[in-house]
Amino acid sequence: MAPTKQAPTRQAITLKGSTNLVTEFFKYAANTILFQREVYPADDFHMVKKYGQTVLVTQDLALENYLDKILQQVNKWLLTGSITQLVLAIISKDSRTTLERWVFDVNIVEQQPTDSSEPPPAKPESEIQAEIRNILKQIVSTVTFLPAIDEPTVFNILAYTSQSADVPVDEWVDTDPHAIEASKSQQVKLRSFSTDVHRIEAMVAYRYEG
Amino acid sequence: MAFNPKTPSRHRSRSETKTPLTPSLISGLNSLRFESSPTKGKAVDTTANPFIQSQSRPSSPIKRTTSGSITVSDSLQKQASGGVIRKGGVESRIDVITRDYVPPTKSEHKRSRSQPSRDTRDRFITSRDTADEVTATLDLLTLNPQSASPGHTARLAAATGVPLNRRILAYHEPPPASTSDSMLGKQRELVRPLYARPGALPNSTSTSSKARKISTQPERVLDAPGIVDDFYLNLISWSCLNTLAVALVENTYIWRADTGDVVHLGEAPDGSYVSSLDFSNDGSFLGIGLGSGEVQLWDIETQTKLRTMVGHSSQIACLSWNKHILSSGCGDGSIWHHDVRVAQHKVGELLGHQGEVCGLKWRSDGELLASGGNDNVVNVWDGRVGDVNSGSRSTARWTKRNHTAAVKAIAWCPWQNSLLASGGGTSDATVHIWNTTTGARLHSLSTPSQVTSIQWSPHRKEFLTTHGYPTNAVMIHSYPSMERVIEIRDAHDSRVLWSALSPAGDVVCTGAGDENLKFWRVWEVPKAKKSKDLKEVGRSSTSSGILTIR
Repeated sequence: MAPTKQAPTRQAITLKGSTNLVTEFFKYAANTILFQREVYPADDFHMVKKYGQTVLVTQDLALENYLDKILQQVNKWLLTGSITQLVLAIISKDSRTTLERWVFDVNIVEQQPTDSSEPPPAKPESEIQAEIRNILKQIVSTVTFLPAIDEPTVFNILAYTSQSADVPVDEWVDTDPHAIEASKSQQVKLRSFSTDVHRIEAMVAYRYEG
Repeated sequence: MAFNPKTPSRHRSRSETKTPLTPSLISGLNSLRFESSPTKGKAVDTTANPFIQSQSRPSSPIKRTTSGSITVSDSLQKQASGGVIRKGGVESRIDVITRDYVPPTKSEHKRSRSQPSRDTRDRFITSRDTADEVTATLDLLTLNPQSASPGHTARLAAATGVPLNRRILAYHEPPPASTSDSMLGKQRELVRPLYARPGALPNSTSTSSKARKISTQPERVLDAPGIVDDFYLNLISWSCLNTLAVALVENTYIWRADTGDVVHLGEAPDGSYVSSLDFSNDGSFLGIGLGSGEVQLWDIETQTKLRTMVGHSSQIACLSWNKHILSSGCGDGSIWHHDVRVAQHKVGELLGHQGEVCGLKWRSDGELLASGGNDNVVNVWDGRVGDVNSGSRSTARWTKRNHTAAVKAIAWCPWQNSLLASGGGTSDATVHIWNTTTGARLHSLSTPSQVTSIQWSPHRKEFLTTHGYPTNAVMIHSYPSMERVIEIRDAHDSRVLWSALSPAGDVVCTGAGDENLKFWRVWEVPKAKKSKDLKEVGRSSTSSGILTIR
């Protein structure tokens, strides 16, 4: 009998594992958005097998490093639970107006205090992957209703953190939320996924002057 | 708007009366300031905020309490649980307000206790003027937990879904611009076909190809040291007696496929080189074209040179036999018919090419002669005309200018007399199939790279093409569907330049600049002939139509 043996065999049930899972999801989601919304030319992307489907990932080294740097910090914030929202804003290069905001809410799943010592049944990883796959698919399918962007765009990643979050000086700066005026925007809620620790809810707001 | 134009002191006095409205108004104001505190004033942001906007104008501090803030405070008021606000806390803050109202903007910042030393700039001071740009979400930003009771805050937060105490952060550097701009992308697109190795397309799905397995490995490889890597030469020929002639610079060798013997046939005169080879139809004689313009006739049996026919002024790039007539294509664009039996060998001249003649093939019945030139032209000549008398000039029966590069690959279909296949060089890379009776173009097939030679299968409705850079491939296509039966990529290490078909029609020999001759068993001899071995097949086919030159 070894009752103390509590080796977490799967990553989704530990904070660290869940954090990595969420960070990885952000990476692929950001890549998918950048490809689908043509922020970067399609040439720059190559296909990668992930979550049981092909995902387009940039092969532009500069962009790859840039995303990596951001996600490393996001990973740290996730570990400390100090990030509440990650936003990818697509901004017109010329007019600097925000055209789209892809919002990923990060919620900490509250563990139900159970009377018994055994943990609640862990969520199977395949289920998490299926949820992630569904979000990515939904991002791809949003192209059908999002207004076509026919101007050069840039993107910006915003992290909404708590007041107390550790912020690396000179690397992260406070910024404008790149909000879209409520009267000119529409919002579509996308699917969500959850691990045993985090729950990610996706949403896209886009400029629509109907 | 009754409480709108108030002096600071009146604010204070109001608050002391503890009417529920006023503290919440003030707390609303407080929350405004607190909300702005996390920014540290690093940047004057473009975010519109109506409250601060008015503040930034040269107006009295009192005017700050505009209708916008009233709505906030109203909303707070509505949701506040009966004004449960700690008295001391509110009053202390009110004191601060009164004091701070003297220099309005600065004082407001000081009130944010969490960030005592602050820049005077505020991220909610906007550069925009239009009130339209105020978002609904920004109104919600003004909710701040420090301004109200914890329970109230929690309820508010829960009700509105606005995260409290948050900072909006962005990475300090902008995302990198794409390294591939549209211009470069376009250029890449244009240049791609030059060095792209198009992915191996699925081969023909027809049942015939599925039933057949073609080896993609050569059956045999022979060394051909020093073979000249020149697209315009024709350096291998396979006779009906199953001997293969190959020219290595100035030397000509005979390889007997039956025994594997190699015989050194002869050497070109000093300063010249062998530029073309062709076996006579009976396989006993070999015509050799030289770079100097001479045409030599050799007897295979005795390995002796029978005669040398001179007259051409430049390189003989191609030769083709028709019975006793040996036709030679010259670098100056002329085609001569040599009657090898008579002393005055030149019996005809065909002038129809502006560039070097690099492909020349007689139809098996001797009716027609097809020629392709470096001038991208395909000509078909009536075989009887040139034969009539010496010096007679003839015009081509028809001329085709569809190719856009040198036409070296020329092949007559063995099972349908009128079919002629021609293939163009690098910038063309297209195979055209012609009906020579009508002159119509029947089919066209574009290929990934230059077509260096074409061989029709005698037993199947297929033809083989050899290709140069970049695929260096041997391909088999079906006719008339033009479907790809097989593609053997990188058949040689360099461009495949020549091909020759075995007399039995099952093996194709290819030569390339990598100094190798490779033998590919790509077609099989039909069952009826299976009992005979390759040698006998060769013999039997010759014995039927054996011709004597003399």
